[in-house]
Amino acid sequence: MDSLLLSKNDLPKFMTELIKKNKVFAPVESNGTIIYEQITKPSEMNLDFCKSEYPPKALILNQTETLFKFTPGTKAKIESVDIDEKKIIFGIRPCDAKSIAILEHAFKGDYKDPYFLKKRENTVLVGLSCTKPEINCFCTSFDDTPASSKYLDILLTDIGDNYYVEVTNDKGKLLTKSMSQLFKPAKDSDIKKKKEVEKKAVDIISRHQKTNGIADKLDKIFEHPFWKDIAFKCVGCGTCTYLCPTCHCFDIQDESTLTKGARVRVWDTCMNPEYTLHASGYNPRPARTNRVRNRIYHKYNYYPKNFDVIACVGCGRCIDLCPVNIDIIDVVTRAGEVKP
Amino acid sequence: MVDNNQLREAVKKTISRDDVKYVVGYEKGTYGFQTTPCFAYKPEDADKFIFSPLCVHNLSVFPMLEEKPPLRKGEEPDKRKIGVVVKGCDSRAIVQILQEKGLDRDKVVIIGIPCTGVVDPKKLEKMFPGHIKNVEVKDDDDKFAVTVDGKTQKIQKSELIPDKCKTCEYPTPILYDILIGKEIKSNKNEDYKKVNEFEKKSLKDKWEYWEKQFDKCIRCYACRNACPLCYCKECMVDQLNPQWVRRSVNISENTAWNLLRAFHLAGRCIGCGQCERSCPMDIPLMELNKKIEKEIREMFEYEAGVNAEEKPLLAMFKPDDPEEFIL
Amino acid sequence: MKDNPYQPWLANIEEIRDEVGGQRPIKTFKLKFQDKELQNNFSYIPGQCAMVSLFGEGECFFAISSSPTKKGFIEVSVMKLGKVTSALHDLEPGDIVGVRGPYGNNFDVKGWKGKNLIFIGGGIGQAPLRSLINYVVDNRKDYGKLDIIYGARTSKDISYKDEFAELEKRKDVDVHLSIDVKEEGWKKFVGFVPDNLLKVKPSPKNSIAITCGPPIMIKFVIQNLEKLGFTEDQIFTTLEMRMKCGIGKCGRCNIGNLYVCKDGPVFSYKQLKNIYGER
Repeated sequence: MDSLLLSKNDLPKFMTELIKKNKVFAPVESNGTIIYEQITKPSEMNLDFCKSEYPPKALILNQTETLFKFTPGTKAKIESVDIDEKKIIFGIRPCDAKSIAILEHAFKGDYKDPYFLKKRENTVLVGLSCTKPEINCFCTSFDDTPASSKYLDILLTDIGDNYYVEVTNDKGKLLTKSMSQLFKPAKDSDIKKKKEVEKKAVDIISRHQKTNGIADKLDKIFEHPFWKDIAFKCVGCGTCTYLCPTCHCFDIQDESTLTKGARVRVWDTCMNPEYTLHASGYNPRPARTNRVRNRIYHKYNYYPKNFDVIACVGCGRCIDLCPVNIDIIDVVTRAGEVKP
Repeated sequence: MVDNNQLREAVKKTISRDDVKYVVGYEKGTYGFQTTPCFAYKPEDADKFIFSPLCVHNLSVFPMLEEKPPLRKGEEPDKRKIGVVVKGCDSRAIVQILQEKGLDRDKVVIIGIPCTGVVDPKKLEKMFPGHIKNVEVKDDDDKFAVTVDGKTQKIQKSELIPDKCKTCEYPTPILYDILIGKEIKSNKNEDYKKVNEFEKKSLKDKWEYWEKQFDKCIRCYACRNACPLCYCKECMVDQLNPQWVRRSVNISENTAWNLLRAFHLAGRCIGCGQCERSCPMDIPLMELNKKIEKEIREMFEYEAGVNAEEKPLLAMFKPDDPEEFIL
Repeated sequence: MKDNPYQPWLANIEEIRDEVGGQRPIKTFKLKFQDKELQNNFSYIPGQCAMVSLFGEGECFFAISSSPTKKGFIEVSVMKLGKVTSALHDLEPGDIVGVRGPYGNNFDVKGWKGKNLIFIGGGIGQAPLRSLINYVVDNRKDYGKLDIIYGARTSKDISYKDEFAELEKRKDVDVHLSIDVKEEGWKKFVGFVPDNLLKVKPSPKNSIAITCGPPIMIKFVIQNLEKLGFTEDQIFTTLEMRMKCGIGKCGRCNIGNLYVCKDGPVFSYKQLKNIYGER
């Protein structure tokens, strides 16, 4: 839509203006890791990172969400909660922005999820191209790059003294327009520079997953012993799913005291046997093999069947932090090679 | 230095036995400094087994993860043994589980490895970031020989080993059926340096520190699942009726979870550090465990997982047990 | 549909009926929405489900066991099993619960017009069938021959006893009850439901068989239906899963890419044969 330039020196000014009028969440270093937190001044930000360990999806699909409040017991009353909060997420990576677009499929459809959709609608995603992908990054396996603007409202790319600013839609335009004095139109040479930065980042990515025809292939190998082989070393923790930017499964529970209560939804994980355990004691997915396979199939077969997109963005978090080195690049690539 | 051929022979010999279901050990991981648990079901599978200072996992969790699906009509339960490759610290987990009768001694074949300290993978990744090809690490006296892209560098062990190895008193497995190589004696002892320092802090500072740590917790329960001693059939955190800990992820519930888990491991934690290593949010869980371990050592002169014949701490009572803490 | 599918409507318990006692008792709850307009407009088709909650305890997914032909209320039948169902069993008439729905697909009551229907149920599995049976009986002229095969462990475990007694009196419905173990005074069939099915021997011609009940029963009922000549698109069943959201988002009730709460609970045997996934 628009190609602009923002001088690096003007970034603090830009951020200060944003913070004045909006709740702004940005990458902040805390205890040695990067997390997305609300900031009160630009200096709190840290833009020298690859990815946060905890995915920024949590700002839209909160790990704990109050659905509504109630007075508990048999004479109940319900009280709705306000979900209209507006915010800006600054410095989100293209892969994480894509994950939010992927999640949107699950939360729209026949039954619209007001919590996710309202928050997405009320959030402006101001992205920052990734210039130093890490070892387990593989976003390029899904036809995207560390500098794709596709899923963002605005994307900034560091091209030296300036940020090359891509404004992709009206939501983004509204922001840049309100501070038009900070932005200059970009020249062809700037576009070239962005392309160079993008190519450099793409070239750093050295691990690749073979995803060609994977959904169809998985249709043929559901019962294959390969899955037991993969799953046997799984210890069954929820790290991979909780850190995954596209995992959306949740639990709903009532949490109450004698006088007040709330129905809350909390991220859940298909790695946990209780997840599918019936009240009768029967469990359709009793073994690790069932559960690990479900995680892979949900991303590479069920999601493509239902929404025509693989539910993985190649951020590599599940690989980085799996305590037993279950490596989704390796698993999916090998699944493609298994003889049905 | 562990001879991989000797290890593979031992695995081969073990899996060739009719009464062994599988052997769990280590193989090279999918990238960089990773190693990963692997399983031998037949003698040929032993060829991929390795042991190096990168073999950080405590594999004694695997016999405890065994799923027992309902048997079909006429089907016999598989009563065969499981072979496990263990380091000194790992073996203490098995000893402790045996004490608690969570496992029968004749259900495991223990392949012991005398260990001179493993590498803390997080420290290594920081020193050599972003390597895809397998990084090799060899034991070289008081140094590690780290080979990256064909070049070998020698690095002081103290820079790369986790805290637990710095004070390891049991480098040789306490219990084993086969020992790979020679027994190693330790001249180190647990001095609880970190705990002692932390104890000096004010209550307020202590609380601030832990509040910050527990705030990071995402309740993935990797600490629990990677822990060989967390083998309850139903964890208290999953119980619904009554519900001890709520599902909501907030400082109150997170604190409840982390403290309850630490207390459930009182007198049981053998200090292998699996929980801390597995924690994706880098919560220093071993500091909690070590504090409790220290208290127990001082009060009851008891150490978990060092004597399979002994009763577990909480199952024995001595008339002269200290009781100052009882109001 | 309202804006927030997670927020239930309030409903009053009008009546609670004990269906079955024992270790796993079943009660039927007659519910009336507090909002009169909603009560009048709440429409559903047999086979559909609802989320019923007790505030402070949680929610559960139940088949609506009443028929839409009976206006002014909905009914769910609840077996006491877990935390929420146990709490529901402690309720009394006048108490308030939350209800949201209707959810899921339904029995093809329009498409089955003119056909002979065979209902094969066991235990609590009768709940969705009860809705369908009452619907069909209330629209009796639209359907061909009706056979109801139902079995329980003992005569005490038979749910909806009064309604079976009423149905047995009718000349245009054939009821075939059974119990698993011999009992004094029981003159009807003794044995398992699949065996009773073979004894009743319904003709597959222009027929649809609908079976709900324990998985093991369904397995053998389907085998026996095939023996009798029923084809896979003449056999329908409902499935059960642990559920939380009821609207295909929370993830846990999937069989392959389908969610039982949204894409089910009614499946033809033909469909089931062609999807893979744990169930």
